[in-house]
Amino acid sequence: MAFNYDQYLRLEKMPTLWCWGCGDGVILKAFIRAVDKMGWSKDDVCVVSGIGCSGRFSSYVDFNTIHTTHGRTVAFATGVKLANPDKHVICVGGDGDALAIGGNHTIHGCRRNIDINFIVINNFIYGLTNSQTSPTTPQGMWTVSQKAGNIDPTFDACKLAIAAGATFVAREKVNDPRKLEKVFVEGFKHRGFSFFDILSNCHINLGRKNKMQSAMENLDWIDAITVSKKKYDEMSEDERLNLLPTGILKQDTAAREYCDMYEDIKAVQQGKRKVLTQDDFEKKI
Amino acid sequence: MAAMTAPANTPVWVDESRCKACDMCVAVCPAGVLAMRPEPTSTLGAMIEIVALDSCIGCNECELACPDFAIYVADKKEYKFAKLTDEAKARAQAIIDNKYRVLGA
Repeated sequence: MAFNYDQYLRLEKMPTLWCWGCGDGVILKAFIRAVDKMGWSKDDVCVVSGIGCSGRFSSYVDFNTIHTTHGRTVAFATGVKLANPDKHVICVGGDGDALAIGGNHTIHGCRRNIDINFIVINNFIYGLTNSQTSPTTPQGMWTVSQKAGNIDPTFDACKLAIAAGATFVAREKVNDPRKLEKVFVEGFKHRGFSFFDILSNCHINLGRKNKMQSAMENLDWIDAITVSKKKYDEMSEDERLNLLPTGILKQDTAAREYCDMYEDIKAVQQGKRKVLTQDDFEKKI
Repeated sequence: MAAMTAPANTPVWVDESRCKACDMCVAVCPAGVLAMRPEPTSTLGAMIEIVALDSCIGCNECELACPDFAIYVADKKEYKFAKLTDEAKARAQAIIDNKYRVLGA
């Protein structure tokens, strides 16, 4: 007996179009195992993906799926969730999809705390279009658009999500598929906006000119720039400089979820309750 | 759990139609069970091969690391896996040093 992924896959789409050793496949497997662990019916899950290598995600899984426009995953998913509050909505975007062109949608999804699970596959580059600088490309790395070395400062996606108001924020890496599955399960259980920053390898388009030509070399680099949250918390500012903490970075179960608040609006329209005022909210400004 | 039936008396098995020869499973195997054999018809000129079936310890690392749904490991409840030996560890290192290729090929 072994875990049967085929039950969740569109077998006619196999093998995947991703390059050999691509982290996207590892994330897809961890995601499938997490959904299986949650015991969700395939009919109750909606996967929304945008453009980029990560956009292929929705094509391979046999759930309800939307392959939508660049960066607009959270916008589409918000509509799906509001119309079907009892269903489970999972968004998948790349670092360019979620933080550059769709950055605004990401911020406002986080702010609303709507019960969407947003998986950001962060491979530090625009992979599908062959190596342009993305918001997470480390400074000094070679890219097609900055051949003399990238000078753009990088985004910390988790800090962005925390500041914008997401109530579950976690970072993991593809080196550790078991932890990946665990963090997905924790996030899926959480009611509110769950943001996952999953560090992935792109040895083809990031690695080829940055001395990481093989998947293992790229993964070793990811290992070297990450440290568990527990260790990170004990470090001094200087030690933290070039490291990213992994694990669950924020979980707030007290904040109200958007679909729940939307029920209040419905009740007002149906004449079942008074119009909302500032007194209905804990935070006044 | 979504389960599939394992072939009889097999700790680990592969679906060659899905393998892209990325070397990941070979890199993570602690017991030197897997290696890449030369395969002219494959895009990267290699194909996964199980070289030491009896040494599999059932750690599941290769299955978790495979991005292409190409490798499967039997359940610990159904198959009695081997213990990790020094010989197996040495073979694993030798295969990695041999650029993940089958030894002597």
